[in-house]
Amino acid sequence: MKAIILAAGEGKRCRPLTLTRSKVMLPVANKPILEHIINSLVKNGIKEIILVVGYKKERIMDYFEDGINFGVKIEYVEQKAQIGTAHAILQARKMIGQDDEKFIVVNGDNIIGPQAIFDLINGAEGDATLLTCKKENVSGYGVIVAKGKNVTEIIEKPKTLVSHLINTGIYLFRKEIFEMIENTSISTAGEYAITDTLQLMINNGMDLTTAVTNAEWIDAAYSWNLLEANTIVLGDFENNINKGKVEDGTIIKGSVSIGKNTTIRAGSYIVGPVVIGDNCDIGPGVVILPSTSIGNNVSIASFSHIKNSILMNDVRINTHSNISSSIIGSNVSTGPNFIAEEGEDMLIRIENELHVAGKLGTVIGDDSEVGGNVLVRAGNLVSSNCHINSGKTISEEVPTNAIII
Amino acid sequence: MCGIVGYIGDGHAVPILIDSLRMLEYRGYDSAGVTVFNGSLETYKIAGRIKELENIIPENTKGSIGIGHTRWATHGKPETKNAHPHISSGISVVHNGIIENYLELKERLTDLGYEFQSDTDTEVIAHLLHFNMNGNSNNSLLDGLAETVKELKGSYAIAALYDKEPGIMAFARKDSPLVVGLGNGSNYTASDVTALLKHTKKVIFINDDEIGLVKPETVEIYDLEGHTISRDPETIEWTLEAAEKAGYEHFMLKEIHEQPTSIQDTFAGKLSELEGTVTLKELYLKPEEIKRLRRATIIACGTSWNAGILGKYLFEKLAGIHTDVETASEFRYSNPVLCGEELTIAITQSGETADTLAAVRSSSSYGCRSIAITNVVGSTITRESDSVLYTRAGPEIGVAATKTFTAQLIALYMLAINLGRARGVISANEAKDLIVGIKRLPGQIQKILNRKEAIKECAIQFAESRDYFFIGRYLNFPVALEGALKLKEISYIHAEGYAAGELKHGPLALITEETPVVAIATKGHTYEKILSNIKEVKARDATVIAVADDDDTEIEKYVDVVLRVPSSHELLSPVLSSVVLQLLSYYTALAKGCSIDKPRNLAKSVTVE
Repeated sequence: MKAIILAAGEGKRCRPLTLTRSKVMLPVANKPILEHIINSLVKNGIKEIILVVGYKKERIMDYFEDGINFGVKIEYVEQKAQIGTAHAILQARKMIGQDDEKFIVVNGDNIIGPQAIFDLINGAEGDATLLTCKKENVSGYGVIVAKGKNVTEIIEKPKTLVSHLINTGIYLFRKEIFEMIENTSISTAGEYAITDTLQLMINNGMDLTTAVTNAEWIDAAYSWNLLEANTIVLGDFENNINKGKVEDGTIIKGSVSIGKNTTIRAGSYIVGPVVIGDNCDIGPGVVILPSTSIGNNVSIASFSHIKNSILMNDVRINTHSNISSSIIGSNVSTGPNFIAEEGEDMLIRIENELHVAGKLGTVIGDDSEVGGNVLVRAGNLVSSNCHINSGKTISEEVPTNAIII
Repeated sequence: MCGIVGYIGDGHAVPILIDSLRMLEYRGYDSAGVTVFNGSLETYKIAGRIKELENIIPENTKGSIGIGHTRWATHGKPETKNAHPHISSGISVVHNGIIENYLELKERLTDLGYEFQSDTDTEVIAHLLHFNMNGNSNNSLLDGLAETVKELKGSYAIAALYDKEPGIMAFARKDSPLVVGLGNGSNYTASDVTALLKHTKKVIFINDDEIGLVKPETVEIYDLEGHTISRDPETIEWTLEAAEKAGYEHFMLKEIHEQPTSIQDTFAGKLSELEGTVTLKELYLKPEEIKRLRRATIIACGTSWNAGILGKYLFEKLAGIHTDVETASEFRYSNPVLCGEELTIAITQSGETADTLAAVRSSSSYGCRSIAITNVVGSTITRESDSVLYTRAGPEIGVAATKTFTAQLIALYMLAINLGRARGVISANEAKDLIVGIKRLPGQIQKILNRKEAIKECAIQFAESRDYFFIGRYLNFPVALEGALKLKEISYIHAEGYAAGELKHGPLALITEETPVVAIATKGHTYEKILSNIKEVKARDATVIAVADDDDTEIEKYVDVVLRVPSSHELLSPVLSSVVLQLLSYYTALAKGCSIDKPRNLAKSVTVE
């Protein structure tokens, strides 16, 4: 069976991190969200994958290439304008062959466990099957109303509580879906949404079913939600592979994986779960505490302290820095004594809407340069390609390309 | 220069040969052909691309033995009669290389009654082989080939089939690359490993003056005296997907995008910023030897030569070694003055560039120590040089070099820092700054790629220009040369790279308002100088496109378009500027609708003189 993964959208809510890559490429435990999905498909024997790409597609193609390193065969198809999930699925039509009676469609931006795919395949009946999971708080999600296995209605982001079954965006379709998509009209939001197609099928009396899963399904809606996803995924992770060099006097506890050509210098103290990529230079005397992921080619200079954070590729952290519950984008460099302060119950304002972020330090977009002795007060986001001079205290949001003198 | 392939086994030969040939198209693509054994030898050939060859081969052509060829004309025009394989009743031959004494052999064979169909040098091999097997003796294919190659002067990689010995394929090599791939019940031959990757990763590299036989289950290798040679197969680590396009429209763009990774792979495990050291164990050079060095000669062709110019500046600045850069094809014939305490550095992506190989041989004969910088493990240059510094860029399929060029620059930086530290020319602290700078390059290149749209717009704006100039000073001079070379190669726009100070000694006369001038104006001690050169050309109404640092706020006052690179260490900005110019060339060629991965008249690795 083939799988179509929808990976064409940006994921605007995850800005500033998605200014330079799409949400599917955001790293969780040092692997893009999309790679977690592909791994779950592979574990269910699904090895032919059609990736619908669009926004910043090169980042996806550069990483996955033809899929051989991930145990799959990947074909790419471009959705030139991001005008809805139904339209995205239609782009893959020519890659679904005569013999492909059924196929899976997955959103590329939610992490799913292998069990979720298994539950979908096992529970599939009728003309189309939606995978749902039960959630206490369904606000902001699409929900479905079902009678037994039969879906009777699909409601996008309902204002009142009508159901606890949320739509995971994972489907098992038959080829007939393409005709139904062609008959789907454009929504008031100006998109061709697959949920509209499904509602059309219900209205036409077709047999739409649901399979329910209790398996992992993690949706990182906003950039800071990546930290929770990272904690969950690292928590499952039992891996002590050390391909690098650890100097004497370093203490490593718990599950810590260290990549090729990485050096952990003397006197460092690392408590897992922690993953560290290839070609990193860490220490001496660096403390790294649980639920931290560090990408490739990262340098962390002496006496820095990193906790519950994601550092992406090519990041450079200078000496005596303190980074807690923060996400540092690719190619960010910071001067000595940089502090990303951590706060509880943070509220983040995005486009004049307040969002609850829980425990958070900061999120810094790619390519930003931060000087020495900079303090970023908890909950203030720094966008990409910013320049912050030494000695500044950041107590409000820093927009893209800003220079703070 | 050409590519050859062969297959013998239990599968259908035609699709395998076509697939393998497609991977070799970078070696030349003006004509192509195959011979398969299908009861008798059936040959199909055409002046054109592999695609066209595929169209003339009847569907369901059976046969599980065959040879194939993709050609880049050297002797005789790209016409169907000159395409390989070449036939002499019952014998079929494909060949890569040049037979220097072919006219003499052709005369002799014509006198013996052989009729020549083509203008190629290769056809003499087919007829000579026939003569040596049937003319005055009754030799087997292997014996006939052994006698034949003894009479050939020049370079060759040959694969041959004979209809009376249908279960074997014979091969021979001298000065042209040849590998044998080992499969399961099937074996392969090819000009290089990329052709084999889809089928096997176990290969045997064939050396000069070796001949042999490939059968479905076994491979036999002999020297020219008939002694058996045994050699263990090697395992190639490249994966096939690395040689395919993965969603990209062109290999060139894919390869440009691979540079953050290829650069990181090239320096991985060699840099220590805390100690300020670059560790290059593979050089096997003792500190005393490094201290004694008086001179270095860099030998290269094309893009590698441009990298060499930068290498010269680096070796002189960082290691205090007087360095000359020589074009390999000139060096061979220019009576070089060499002595023992010299280092020869040969730069060749493929490791098979004929001129560079010959130049290294000649410098070795003076007792110079040689270091090869190459991208292909096990290539000929790795056997001809005293030590090898590999670029880890992976296979490059686009004819225009991109990721291998920047990887070569990284290798040169590392070599210069290593030598400079050993000679005490730079301090650990200076080395540390450079090492930090090198480690930042992958992220900075990604930043360039993230905002390539600005480069694309600029390319489209000037795509219809007839001429382009590229100017730069000091370290940016080789960047200008490479920028111009890329543009001519793939967009067919006439382009010249100049040391900016040289403009007023002639080329300024060519500058009009129709001529875009690309000025590489990154910060450094020649920045003020290039600004005055920019003013010189602006005074002639030229359009100036500047490549400048992110934090340079002055430059836009003087130029029409600014293409930005992240600010970096002065010595390292050429890597970043080069990526910008690669994208400029790519998008210019794209706007003009050129055949980007396979420009006319060019081939990827030049294994002939």
